[in-house]
Amino acid sequence: MTSELLWYASRATGVASIVLLTAIVVLGTLLSGRRARPATAAVRTALHRWLSLGMVVFLVVHIVTAVSEGFVKIGWLAVVVPFVSGWQPGWVGLGALAVDLMVALLVTSWLRPRLPERAWRAVHWAAYALWPLALVHGLMLGTANEPVLRGVTIACAAAGASFVAWRSLSSPADRNRRRDVLAGEWS
Amino acid sequence: MPTRERAAELRVDRVACTGHGACAALLDRVRLDDWGYPIVEDAVAAAASRDVDAALALCPARALYLTGSLRLTRRS
Amino acid sequence: MRPNAKLLDDLTAAGLTGRGGAAFSTGIKVRAAFRNRADLIVNACDGEIGASKDAVVVAAHLDELIRGAELVAPHYRQRVLFAAHRGSPTLAQLADARLEVLAVPHRYVSSEASALVSLAQGGLGRPFAKRVDPVDGGRDSTGRRVHPTVVLNAETVWRVAQIAQHGPGWFRARGTHAEPGPRLATVTGYLSRPTVVETEAGVPLRELLDAAGGLPGDARSVLIGGLGGAFLTADEALGVRWSTDDLRRYGAALGPGVVTVLDPTRCPLDIVGEFLDYAAGETAGQCGPCMFGLPAVATAWRQLRRSGSDAALGELRRHLGLLPGRGACAFPTGVARFGTSALRVFAGHVEQHRAGACSYRREAAHAHA
Repeated sequence: MTSELLWYASRATGVASIVLLTAIVVLGTLLSGRRARPATAAVRTALHRWLSLGMVVFLVVHIVTAVSEGFVKIGWLAVVVPFVSGWQPGWVGLGALAVDLMVALLVTSWLRPRLPERAWRAVHWAAYALWPLALVHGLMLGTANEPVLRGVTIACAAAGASFVAWRSLSSPADRNRRRDVLAGEWS
Repeated sequence: MPTRERAAELRVDRVACTGHGACAALLDRVRLDDWGYPIVEDAVAAAASRDVDAALALCPARALYLTGSLRLTRRS
Repeated sequence: MRPNAKLLDDLTAAGLTGRGGAAFSTGIKVRAAFRNRADLIVNACDGEIGASKDAVVVAAHLDELIRGAELVAPHYRQRVLFAAHRGSPTLAQLADARLEVLAVPHRYVSSEASALVSLAQGGLGRPFAKRVDPVDGGRDSTGRRVHPTVVLNAETVWRVAQIAQHGPGWFRARGTHAEPGPRLATVTGYLSRPTVVETEAGVPLRELLDAAGGLPGDARSVLIGGLGGAFLTADEALGVRWSTDDLRRYGAALGPGVVTVLDPTRCPLDIVGEFLDYAAGETAGQCGPCMFGLPAVATAWRQLRRSGSDAALGELRRHLGLLPGRGACAFPTGVARFGTSALRVFAGHVEQHRAGACSYRREAAHAHA
């Protein structure tokens, strides 16, 4: 495979990963926000989980093509260890951070039945850090001369941000009531 | 104490349940009350239902579980 | 550690059941406790409204209580905690006796068995969903692993010591076949001498009331089992035996052994309303049907008190029907039982409210808020 082909593949699969990640985050905000119809909850849950598998596939291709492309020196270690890349250590490092968080999220979700619920929940909140990291990583690397890729990434940022904003303003009644009662004397 | 002779029952962990209602969408024997929380009309029939595995998996809060059977897939 | 087989045989032969309200076989619980080398929490909280029998066990039978706890948790590694409400004389007596105590917050559900287990582990005093019985371990509401723990009512633990000393025959000599053994009852409310009496299943309820000075002539109703119990009319109370078999027809059971004579100088719908308002504020806020359902019941009751209409009655019944069995603990089930039986006993008075003519309005300061 030519270096140029790998470079294109890397950027294309990178953007695809961001699109899927954004969809997953959006579904997550919908699930944790005000309650929808029952059938909707089931569908959203299924999509939220299945899309994460699809995203992992694109992400793996993105990482493999980026590192093996060879024209820029990234190195396999830099995939998981932030800021050790030869090329653009800062922006690549954000991607590595995102990968680390993602692995934690995937593993805790897979092991959820065996973990304390609060452990799962704490790691899951890291999604709100993971998503912006991936967006900035994508914006700063490889979309500078690609208006389509840049446009898609920015659209993801805008769409996701509006859902996150909606979510922060709309707590479900269940969450509010739990929080209110918890404020009482219980120990 | 769980036994193997008793028929499996579908149970709801009422603390974990946050009222998404996915179970009601998937299972005939489950409907929702005024606030969106499940009423399991027949725990044994629900557990034996063809869609129970999907319901167990698709509860966003993982609040459904089965008792009285060899299956111990949930937190225990 | 060799489990005390004789104790298990004695408890099984005696047929001792829990005196805290749930009446589960103590022999089975202690067998499981031995199997898991479980910690023990002795529940001396008197958590039910009006109860004070646990306080009597601690005040008057502490040595035997301690002996019973040692029998249930004999190994040095088994933690034994004595639970009572913060600031209560019972807690002070337990602390003075140098026992390891668990100070329980003043919440109705905090004295529930799993709430005590949660509290003992450094968590909040709130029940947790029992996918696994706490005697076998499991996890609490936060997901923290639970060390196998058995929770027994203080009176139950006292009876364990008595059975070990006097034998199952002595225990079975009193009570009925289904509910053997001596048992304490708190007789309280509109009485000349509220008291805690040692009695047994099968005696006329009238005997318990007589021990407290007798049912006053103007008394109209009696509550058996507090907020989780059921009402009887005065006539029913004078005619029934103190046994679950007899009480069952009124929706009542022996439970934690609390008999409360209602104040006949107050509108019963006001009294019940106060109980239901209290219940709505005592949800642990963990289970949807309880944290939304109890306030709905209280509101529906208020509506019934105001109008006495069929619509209000229907709405109240509907909400009561959504409670049983749908919480992590028995609290909503108990409130449903309480509310349903209130409708049975006070149906006639509801009619007065429908006509806008509550007979208590003639008394001072009767506000239909």
